Amino acid sequence: MDDLKQLFDAIVEGDHHAAKSLTEGAIVAGANPKVLLDTAMIPAMDEVGRRFEQGEYFVPELIISARAMKAGMAVIRPLLTARADKPAGRVALATVRGDLHDIGKNLVGTMLEGGGFEVVDLGVDVGPDKIVAAVKDQNVDIVALSALLTTTIAGMKLTIDKLKAEGVRDRVKVIIGGAPVTQKFANDIGADGFAETASGAVVLARSLMAGA
Amino acid sequence: MNARERFAATMHYQPRDRSPIMDFGFWDETLVIWQEQGYPAGSDPDSFFGMDPQWFECGGIVGLWPAFPDLVLKDQGETEVAQQSDGVIVQRGKFLGTIPRHIDHTLKDRDSWNKYFKPRLRDDDPLRFPSESAWTMLVDEWTRPTREYPLFIRAGSLYGVARNWFGLERISEVIYDDRVLFEEIVETLADVVIASLERTLAAGVRPEAASMWEDMCYNAGPLISPKLFKQVLVPHYRRITDLLCKYGVDIVFVDCDGKIDALAPLWLDAGVNTMFPIEVGTWHADPIEFRRKYGKDMRLIGGVDKHLLAGPLEGITREIERLAPLVEEGGYIPTPDHRVPPDVPLSHYIFYLNEAKRVWGRGLDNCGPTGHVDPSAVKPTTKRFSWES
Repeated sequence: MDDLKQLFDAIVEGDHHAAKSLTEGAIVAGANPKVLLDTAMIPAMDEVGRRFEQGEYFVPELIISARAMKAGMAVIRPLLTARADKPAGRVALATVRGDLHDIGKNLVGTMLEGGGFEVVDLGVDVGPDKIVAAVKDQNVDIVALSALLTTTIAGMKLTIDKLKAEGVRDRVKVIIGGAPVTQKFANDIGADGFAETASGAVVLARSLMAGA
Repeated sequence: MNARERFAATMHYQPRDRSPIMDFGFWDETLVIWQEQGYPAGSDPDSFFGMDPQWFECGGIVGLWPAFPDLVLKDQGETEVAQQSDGVIVQRGKFLGTIPRHIDHTLKDRDSWNKYFKPRLRDDDPLRFPSESAWTMLVDEWTRPTREYPLFIRAGSLYGVARNWFGLERISEVIYDDRVLFEEIVETLADVVIASLERTLAAGVRPEAASMWEDMCYNAGPLISPKLFKQVLVPHYRRITDLLCKYGVDIVFVDCDGKIDALAPLWLDAGVNTMFPIEVGTWHADPIEFRRKYGKDMRLIGGVDKHLLAGPLEGITREIERLAPLVEEGGYIPTPDHRVPPDVPLSHYIFYLNEAKRVWGRGLDNCGPTGHVDPSAVKPTTKRFSWES
């Protein structure tokens, strides 16, 4: 229990060296990797998200905590894969066509991974066809779309329209975010949700998976 | 009253004939698209639209010197991979004006700082200024009593440029992994700015304002904590503003997009007293609210939602009239809250300017005439962006 608390604290405090060594130590001592993930690592990133939403943490703290989470995940991921443990969900993540911005997208990806999701990062400047292909071929539960520019957010609607046209809209939830995006815009284009922050995206993804 | 006098009077709450009528600028695509709507190709926007001239900058080079060579590393059709003058490797559009995507950074750690950046940030490098003869000519122009335009002195950046050099992720790590390095970078940047200010101001130049650039906020707030900002940045802002104050430069503005609420009072405490461009955004920033909260100590430039200009004309008039009392009070110059995007029709922009001149300009005819568009010259609209295909 002490080890779990120490691992939790290491991630919350952003100490990636400690997160790695504590995870390795716990595994050597016979800990179940899924238990480490579910009872220390994901709760730690939830706490990071909570502090971020409360204005106690800012982007640097998110980033170093995520780095600590990744250090621990690098230790347990092969073990989880071998045990066929399922992630919280699989998310295809992309910045829409015409938009090369990836800072927000990457933060969302990092936080989703920290929240136990598997992330398929499709990159930037991604057109509807590539997203549809990911939905068809990669068994994703959620499509998460990002845009920074007011002139490119229309690409989100084009993507949703393409998902409908290809008959796969009902297979996935579509969530959107980015500086010019609002809840109203999400409603207008028929997205399933909008998150203002990276940690908010995790909460949203979980609620959609719970309702799926 | 000329533009210089009008700017100074406005920022000091003194009587003036009218508010300055200015803009922030335009996306490259906007002026191209507007040509199809009657805007004469090659025209100077300030002249065509009859606006007051924007400020001009003075002082030495406060960034990297010498800059890294701007090199195209790989042609990718509509985009290219290039090394920028700040050492950042980017993927950028050749034709669209979008912000380039960072792929790699020359600045990664203390070694790369010492090897590539510190030598380019010597505050005693004479090449930060032009030759003596050219410098004398510039100083003569900047100190000319009959100068009609506002002059801003470059006061650099303490976080924004370092964030660009490192990338957001790496600088965020450096803040925790090597706080001493982060502090050294901030101090070095401030030293370069101070050396430039000292030489320029000691030469007798008296600009109407000093200008800083940071862009360190996004739609949810600042990119670093206010606590860190206060501990590391504020002391160096204070060094800069104290020097400016010694020479009588009492208007210091910071260009910072995004939601600045958490940093605005800290900047104000540090002597940075003019917020620009008050991006309205999805967080609904409002210059009237900033004035209510911080009083006349805080000056404001911007605050007109650029997206409003694409909407109904009644909404444009309503917003101009809503802001009118603040404009009249002074210490505020209204402009669109960033460059005008291409979804704003030219006719709307002209309507906005005419309304601005009527209300904020008090209808005086010393605003230049707004350019006339011949309806017969308007071409059918063509496709604008690649995502429409």
